[in-house]
Amino acid sequence: MGPLRSLKHWFIDPQFSRKKNFLRSLDIFKDLKEREFGHLVQSLHSRTYREGEVIFVEGDIGRALFLLESGSVSLARSGPDGKPIPLYTLKPGDFFGEMALLESLPRSASAAALEPSRVHLLYRSKLDALLQAEPRIGVTIMSHLARLLSARLRRVTSDLRPLPAKDD
Amino acid sequence: MTENRRPFPLLSVVVTAVAALYAVYRVREVLTPFVLAAAFAYVVNPIITSFEAHGARRSILVAGGYLLAVCLGAASYAGLKPLIREQFERLGADAPVYLRQIQKLADVQQAKLSRRLPLPPKVAQRALESMMGTGLEKLQNIPSHLFGLVPLFAHALLIPFIGFFFLLDGPNGFASLIQAVPSRYVEQAIHLTSEIDTALGNYLRGIIIVALAITAASFAGLFLMGVDNAVAIAILSGVSSFVPYLGAVMGAVVGGGMALYQFGSLWAGVKVVVLFAGIRLADEIFLQPIIARHSVHLHPMVFLLALILGGEMFGFMGLVFAIPAACILKALLKVSWSWYASETGLEAPRDPGAGVPYT
Repeated sequence: MGPLRSLKHWFIDPQFSRKKNFLRSLDIFKDLKEREFGHLVQSLHSRTYREGEVIFVEGDIGRALFLLESGSVSLARSGPDGKPIPLYTLKPGDFFGEMALLESLPRSASAAALEPSRVHLLYRSKLDALLQAEPRIGVTIMSHLARLLSARLRRVTSDLRPLPAKDD
Repeated sequence: MTENRRPFPLLSVVVTAVAALYAVYRVREVLTPFVLAAAFAYVVNPIITSFEAHGARRSILVAGGYLLAVCLGAASYAGLKPLIREQFERLGADAPVYLRQIQKLADVQQAKLSRRLPLPPKVAQRALESMMGTGLEKLQNIPSHLFGLVPLFAHALLIPFIGFFFLLDGPNGFASLIQAVPSRYVEQAIHLTSEIDTALGNYLRGIIIVALAITAASFAGLFLMGVDNAVAIAILSGVSSFVPYLGAVMGAVVGGGMALYQFGSLWAGVKVVVLFAGIRLADEIFLQPIIARHSVHLHPMVFLLALILGGEMFGFMGLVFAIPAACILKALLKVSWSWYASETGLEAPRDPGAGVPYT
């Protein structure tokens, strides 16, 4: 290890670099510049959830986007009998709860950690602050969310068959 | 997985908060340097985080920042040492003379008034003695109020020392707090802290900018006018400005009195009062709009009530922290209302155009 490399290692925060590398690997942030990842890392709150720990419950008011760095998270919705119906299992690199960044409405599903999971939260007010201070970061995220929303809506719309017109 | 929905434990939070506040009130003297150090770290933190965004280790940034501050402080002190020493030596020597002059002036005015009042001489003298006595008592109380500032200076070394550890811990402390919050309430906890941060951060940083600006402008103005003890008056005015509106008033009263005594003319005193009125006006026009843009707006009555309560309960420190505490309280109420409104559907989203088919 050269002296410059050793000095850099001493000066640079390894946890910060790890978080930055994780964010860089996500599609939602793929258009961001190197400098902007630093600001983004500072806007995130991190938390480790134990196995079985509830992250949020269907019906809770959503206020944050969750980025899964490690572990796995199960999404489930209550069935008519009140029993949970599993919807999807998220793996590292997936994100969920993204609609909370757009509106304060009840969560449409519950989320719980299936194993010890490291999750980063991007809270909506932090995104608003980013939109003001670093507009490019905010716009990149919002643009990605808009595309995602559009894709989901298109899929739902294409599944619908037009009803025959009624002849009175 | 679907946990039974429980109402947010608002009552337990309120009871815990009240108990914590009472405990803080009981040990307020001991906590003073810690509260000041936390405020110091909170205000300085954005400088550290702006460098931290480039990936540098926090410990190196904090240590480097302290080293730089010590070097800059030492250099500034070395440059201004003769002026500061001369001003404080003169103030120390002149203070008893000023007090004697005030007493003499009060005696002369009392004698003049007693002759003019249409009352028997002894009754008039007794009434005036009583009135002047009250006035002088209030005057004598001024130093005790000013002694309220002493903790700020007494902790001058302790605050940066404790603040160093607050800064070093930085976001890790907050992360530990978030980790300790029950998982269901993480989002609410972050919501609450974000609101408090927005309200409090801008206010605290704002008043520090105002205090520095008032100190610099007061010193420049008084120095150019040739008023004695410009450094001491400017510092007094700057420190007093931590209590809203007090800085300019203190500067005008002490500076105006000093000019009146020094030059022996009313006009000199008026010029100093005009200087501080100008400083206050400039603060209102140029600084306050920037500071108030992102901080919580308090109704003037709430503002006044907070100051009175703060002063009554915690003395000078209460006056300094009354408005930040009111900002926190307002953020708490705002967040509570937001939760309540979202949970009960009072804030229903309006989506004009939602009925149009997707094309």
